[in-house]
Amino acid sequence: MTITTPVPDALLKPSNQIITDWLLAIATRRDRSAFELLYNHFAARIKSYMIKQGADAATADDLAQEAMVQVWRKAEQFDADKAAPATWIFRIARNLQIDRLRRRKFHEVELTAEADRTDEGVSGHERSAEQIDADRLRGLIENLSKEQMDVIQLAFFEGLTHSEICQRLDLPLGTVKSRLRLAFGKLRTAMGEQP
Amino acid sequence: MKINHHPDDCTIIAYAAGALTEGFSLVLAAHLEYCPLCRERLTDAQTLGGALLMDLQPTQPPAGGLDDIWARIESASAEEPRTAATATASDEVLPGVLLPFLEGGFDSIPWRSLAPGIGHHLFDDVESGQGGVRLLSIAPGITIPEHTHGGGELTLVLKGAYQDEIGYFRRGDLADLDPSVSHRPVAARDEPCICLIATDLPLRFSGMVGRMLQPFIGI
Repeated sequence: MTITTPVPDALLKPSNQIITDWLLAIATRRDRSAFELLYNHFAARIKSYMIKQGADAATADDLAQEAMVQVWRKAEQFDADKAAPATWIFRIARNLQIDRLRRRKFHEVELTAEADRTDEGVSGHERSAEQIDADRLRGLIENLSKEQMDVIQLAFFEGLTHSEICQRLDLPLGTVKSRLRLAFGKLRTAMGEQP
Repeated sequence: MKINHHPDDCTIIAYAAGALTEGFSLVLAAHLEYCPLCRERLTDAQTLGGALLMDLQPTQPPAGGLDDIWARIESASAEEPRTAATATASDEVLPGVLLPFLEGGFDSIPWRSLAPGIGHHLFDDVESGQGGVRLLSIAPGITIPEHTHGGGELTLVLKGAYQDEIGYFRRGDLADLDPSVSHRPVAARDEPCICLIATDLPLRFSGMVGRMLQPFIGI
């Protein structure tokens, strides 16, 4: 007879705060059990991401494992004031995908608070509080229409260019772009940004 | 510095998703150094990516599981991804992300003349689909013949200014052009205009003069 212990909600759908705590436990004391919780949530999802990006199963396994190794190694570099933890992990997976699947270079700029010059509006300080509100964003995403969700998913997860999305959905470029803009604008407005 | 022209939301999303060519990522990164507004937009797009990843339907966990992870960590075999060095935003004339390509600044660029008043310099080690990344220097008052873009084009003004059918573009402004746009940029009269341009397909010149230039320009 098997006894199924119910998994608490916090582990099925951990908040960004909980994930931040796990990352900090890894960064400060190399906490293996915190890493296992993180692994249980993200490893299969990163694998799924890699498959959507076109990796075969073995490559997706390898890249998901590699991403989690980097999460362990780079945990000290995670700064909760700069980005939500899921965002930080997403960037690790994305950069591996660009590097190993697409074999491309990719140029980035440090998005630090100090880099935000105050002469043009919002200061870094005000932003960091909003960035952490990534959980509210998850709720907002659920309110997108199916049409908007489809283009957002294709753009983020299948690594498709806009014209490839057009072919996939059999829609004109203008329609795909306006759906993406509407969805992104709606989310940013709802998060308290200027549209 | 006041920036008036920004990348489209779709381009910001494609950058956050990592679905751009190296060339497009280079031009966008240079614009981001100038533009705090777009750094915020990118932060939001990456936050969206993180939120989507968190709630993505998972597959089976990766083969090997945690045992394989601990073995990899102990064997220290992981490589750093080969993304380019991250630049820090700066107020210098030349965006930091371009320094590796232009070590001597604007003065040392080996311009190749395309036509009177138009200089051209191709970054030959930057991948950008079937297009490329180049600098264009346009003498004051000179016009680039009317053209459309087979694919997309990102043009960032690094110095001077130009006017076209869309508007007036100054340092830091970015024109995000898709195949539907036809334009005829004219450099402002006071100083040469230097632009950084990424394309993913060759340009298409529409007029007679442009078509004659095409084989020489090759852009």
